[in-house]
Amino acid sequence: MGDGMTEPILRLEKIRKTFPGVLANYDVDLKIQRGEIHALLGENGAGKTTLMNCVYGVYKPDGGKIFWKGKLVEINQARDSIALGIGMVHQHFKLVPPLTVAENVVLGLPQKREPFLDLKKVEKEVYETAKQYGFDIDPKAQIWQLPVGTQQRVEILKALYRKAELLILDEPTAVLTPGEVEEMFVVLKNLTKDGLSIIFITHKLEEVMAVCDQVTVLRDGRVVSTVNTEDTNTKELARMMVGREVFLNIDKPVLKTGETVLNVEHLSAKDSRNLPALKDVSFEICRNEILGIAGVDGNGQTELADVVAGLRKAASGKVEVLGKDATNCTPLDIMNMGVAYIPPDRQHTGLFLDFTLTENLIGKSYFRTPFSKRGVFQQEEIKEFTETAIREYDVRTPGPELKARMLSGGNQQKMVLARELSGDPELVIASQPTRGLDVGATEYVHRRMVDARNRGAAILLISTELEEILSLSDRIAVMFEGEIIGIIPGKGADVHEIGEMMAGVRSTGEISNGKEVESAG
Amino acid sequence: MKTESKVNILWRKYTERSFSLLVPVLAILAAFLVSGVLILAWGANPIEAYVSLFSGAFGSPNAIATTLERMTPLIFTGLAVIYGYRSGFFNIGAEGQLYMGAIAAVWVAVTFPGWPAWLLLPACVIASGLMGLVWILLPAFLKAKRGINEVLTTLLLNYVAIQYHEWVIRVDHIQEGITLFGGEKPVWTWLNYFTLKDPTQPYPKSPFLVDASFMPSLKSILETNLVTSLLGDTTWYQEVIKIPALGRMTLAPVLAVLAVVLIYFVMFKTVTGYRARSVGTNPEAAKFIGVNVPRTIFISALISGTLAGLAGGMEVLGTQHRIIPSFLVNAGFDGIPVALIGQLHPFGGLLSAIFFGALRAGSNKMQVITSVPVAVVYIIQALAIMFAIAGTTVNIQAIIKKRRMSKGINQKNAAKVAEGETYAG
Repeated sequence: MGDGMTEPILRLEKIRKTFPGVLANYDVDLKIQRGEIHALLGENGAGKTTLMNCVYGVYKPDGGKIFWKGKLVEINQARDSIALGIGMVHQHFKLVPPLTVAENVVLGLPQKREPFLDLKKVEKEVYETAKQYGFDIDPKAQIWQLPVGTQQRVEILKALYRKAELLILDEPTAVLTPGEVEEMFVVLKNLTKDGLSIIFITHKLEEVMAVCDQVTVLRDGRVVSTVNTEDTNTKELARMMVGREVFLNIDKPVLKTGETVLNVEHLSAKDSRNLPALKDVSFEICRNEILGIAGVDGNGQTELADVVAGLRKAASGKVEVLGKDATNCTPLDIMNMGVAYIPPDRQHTGLFLDFTLTENLIGKSYFRTPFSKRGVFQQEEIKEFTETAIREYDVRTPGPELKARMLSGGNQQKMVLARELSGDPELVIASQPTRGLDVGATEYVHRRMVDARNRGAAILLISTELEEILSLSDRIAVMFEGEIIGIIPGKGADVHEIGEMMAGVRSTGEISNGKEVESAG
Repeated sequence: MKTESKVNILWRKYTERSFSLLVPVLAILAAFLVSGVLILAWGANPIEAYVSLFSGAFGSPNAIATTLERMTPLIFTGLAVIYGYRSGFFNIGAEGQLYMGAIAAVWVAVTFPGWPAWLLLPACVIASGLMGLVWILLPAFLKAKRGINEVLTTLLLNYVAIQYHEWVIRVDHIQEGITLFGGEKPVWTWLNYFTLKDPTQPYPKSPFLVDASFMPSLKSILETNLVTSLLGDTTWYQEVIKIPALGRMTLAPVLAVLAVVLIYFVMFKTVTGYRARSVGTNPEAAKFIGVNVPRTIFISALISGTLAGLAGGMEVLGTQHRIIPSFLVNAGFDGIPVALIGQLHPFGGLLSAIFFGALRAGSNKMQVITSVPVAVVYIIQALAIMFAIAGTTVNIQAIIKKRRMSKGINQKNAAKVAEGETYAG
């Protein structure tokens, strides 16, 4: 371990991987030292995950060499990399919910007395491994009972139990609350003390700065640079990542709010399992205003958006759009009231992946003149509209007849924006509008939302990214277990206060609507 | 110039048209190739066999007429499956709808034999389509309202339809009727109107239809006064008119091709088709853009059923002119492979229906000349289906690979590869 600096645990030399028509990795060099946390930073599609899949044995690189502890190795399948001591924790956990922690940890490992499993012994071993790394995990607990942060630790435990010396974490913070993220960072720091190396795949700059020792920035499949985090800052990293100057903070003029666009009163609704998801929710949004809904995923935000958009029935309460009752109207009726909905999952509910760009772009207006007359499409008008939309929303595509599936995540989201924001809606419901987007695309989406606000639209922004809520919202409502815990003004909002509210602690005292402060200021 | 061609190549590569003829054509060729090996093993010359198959399908006016006859119902049932499938309604009840459509067409022709051709023929055609629609009403309703799996309901109704068709041509007219609940009037007399058995025949058959209900054939067109007065004296005309197969080349295949164009138009150029396809490809997203999903499914199912019903009408009005037991076995079920080989596109469906029709028309000649059994064509057919499906997965794989790069599907695979675990999330 002493000569860790001279002999990296993992060294990649000129790794090259192509897919039909796409250069995913081009001559990538990478050195991972023992005991360091090394960030792999890049936009979506920059080739981070492909590169790690080459290391983990999911893909075979077309060219280049992989050295493990100085020795040239060939990794043909994941089995090989696990044998070497490489573990990978995926963004979506590979755990079996009804099984216990111990069962999940040994799943897939050969047992001494197969087909029998000595669960007692395994539980003991798992417990000891957990203790050794300071994890407080009950090996007998079933996965579904555990909070997400703990589930992630079970995943890490799985790798450690397999004697991993290098841990690859693919966007590990995407599913965690701010509190859990901090806990995880502590855990990671602890792990490296024992000589474990960690590759941290991310596109979040703050995380790189917070926890990593070195950072390698990838862009278009190539290494832009490898630097010590001490010697850099977020601004520089963002520039390296995107290849141009990025404005991390959006300029937002102070505007006087206008008439009330959305008025929600005492709204209650049930979720898909018929359990109460919304409890007595009330708020209003005015013109020129962005109301951010903060909260940990799964606290009723999705249900709120769905009820307002007419996709879910309200059990009681009232939804009004511009003074008109919209409670339990059909999605089409609500659409016609001037409500646009940017759904949380662009691939499943936002777009038709097998439709062309043209077909997707006309998704909200296909039945209106001039796009169709007597039910028949007017190709000329449609073509003109889609070409304008593609240009205006800067969708990078070889042509409008491409299938939406072929676009990158950022461009897909631009398509959703183009579809939803065309026709200048009065109310925009944006649910997780930048989930999984890189810095450049996020910046773009934010700018569009602020533009819509400045134009006079009311915006209901739902996001689990606190940064996003803080930088965009005029007012911030925090949801916890289906209730709005409190509404505070966006200007000068305190992260810690919001964090506590997200955990269910009610804001003490005078500001429960945040509104007065806003209009006074 | 070079750069331009490169751009073109790129363009073609990424511009995945919604349909490519390449897959079905390659699938059919591959099927012939592999079946050739089988024929070799059988001890015959595959080239000879295929030549005789081809000549049996296209080699003479008679052969062409047979191919057209076989092809026509397959086009309609293929379209029924294609339209339904693309709209989220997997109609495997085309067989039943076809039978019911045929029965309805024959019923109209038998019940109103006195109507003039201009009235009777359209009435028969419309009746067959309507009956197909009626036959899919229940599955369509159940699917739209309650989400009940249409595969089961449409499939099971097939057997009801087939049995009903047996009954209709076997049962003699009930003269007496049965009285119920002490009523005076016999309740069952109305059933008399539903039996189609030819009373003069000992065998289960419907009566032969009146001429007025026949699909006009090429022969009947050439024999109209207008044509004879124009061309009657030419030697060319005298030659042509003698070809007996002309009587079997009817308007039905023309209507079938028109239906292909119409359905293509509806699917890709109208609001109705857009809604239907949006529900078919992603019902969740369709809901999000304000599409009334149940209603759309309902309408799409009705269109599908109507098409399948028309298949039966075309068969009895254009080819058989009566119903006999099992008058058209499997044409409904074969709509599914027709649709699959045709890549679920109307034009592809037309192509594969021609292929199926030709196989059926040519197989007898192949058996007679080269003693290769007729069953071989079913092997060719099955292989073509397999290759066509394989063809689509090749495309899909390319897409998946592309997606792997940007999103986390690779991770799933990685875990599967790594530990062979089953993810029960």
